[in-house]
Amino acid sequence: MAESVDTATAILASAAVLLREQTFDDISYRALADEVGISERTIYRQYPTRAHLLAALSDWIEQTCFPLPPFVTVSDFRAAVHERFRAYDASPAYAYVGARASAISPTLDAEPAYITRAIEAMLDVTAPTLNRRDRRRVAASLRYFSSAMFWARLRTGFDLDAGEICDAFDRATDTVLARLPDATTAQP
Amino acid sequence: MTGSTAVPALGGTQAAILAAYAELIEEVGSDDVSFRLIARRAGIAERTVFRNYPTRVDLLLATARWIEATVFVREESHSIFDIPLAIRDAMQRYDARPELAHVVAEAAMRGVSGAAPSLGRVHLERLLDAEVPSLDAAQRRAVIVALSHLDSAATWVTFHREFGMDRRDIADAAAWAAEAVLDSIRDRVAP
Repeated sequence: MAESVDTATAILASAAVLLREQTFDDISYRALADEVGISERTIYRQYPTRAHLLAALSDWIEQTCFPLPPFVTVSDFRAAVHERFRAYDASPAYAYVGARASAISPTLDAEPAYITRAIEAMLDVTAPTLNRRDRRRVAASLRYFSSAMFWARLRTGFDLDAGEICDAFDRATDTVLARLPDATTAQP
Repeated sequence: MTGSTAVPALGGTQAAILAAYAELIEEVGSDDVSFRLIARRAGIAERTVFRNYPTRVDLLLATARWIEATVFVREESHSIFDIPLAIRDAMQRYDARPELAHVVAEAAMRGVSGAAPSLGRVHLERLLDAEVPSLDAAQRRAVIVALSHLDSAATWVTFHREFGMDRRDIADAAAWAAEAVLDSIRDRVAP
């Protein structure tokens, strides 16, 4: 199956190229097939629906264009998210694909994203005695404010640039972390 | 935050098309619904669907707006400090119609060519300015964007998908986060 893995990746790489000129919706399987030099049928075999293609394309873009710096502390987490938001601002077409893919009804058994696990691990270290329900509320809030969706909403709905989005993210993070009892948190 | 102002008046045919599409999305998902199937469900000719919505994207965005304005309509909040309650209700509504919640969430993440991602913005600004007028621009913006982000279908999608939360947990966590956002302005209400 090595060949088909390569084909799948070639399709994604070509889709990413086309994405520089047109929106995801305007990329037809026909045009994509021509770009890769394979049959339309092969693309359908790899990605039976556009939702499958969107999800795979988003994963590929995230790995190749938006690698997340590792973080353990809250301040490293903030820095990693700032870096991501700036990268999104530099490649908005790619970032919107990520935001859209994280909103669609999952096509496969969607695993939680890496950043979700990393945030949970950070809280395990930062607030080891915090009860499970509060920890999940904090993790979910931080995850959601650090997402491509947050960037996309603030850019489209509020016309904010990366600096302003980072500021809004910092303030939202502050309000969430401020809810932790002082004793539970190692200060950033 | 009724969202109704964002929806242009619909003709009966258009409403029938959007309702038919929304029904079919819930039955088979948004990807596999053909215009022919929508036409049959709405009881009209396929070309009538095309005349009203020339492309699949036009149809999807119109349907997302229609869903927000009819299925997920919010009870109006009269205070910014009531927004967490509205968010709690909204999450329960999204949970009852998960396929539609995904459609609405995704339509708002398409950039300028997509649905408006901040339907409640004007309402939130009006409430905040009336009750807590002393905020500086950055503080005000931070409160508005955080509440606007939380009061959306994307919250339900993220909490559900990334954390496997159920309806109760999602409603609780979203309202909790909104309360956290309000903590910073709780005692700054204009006398």
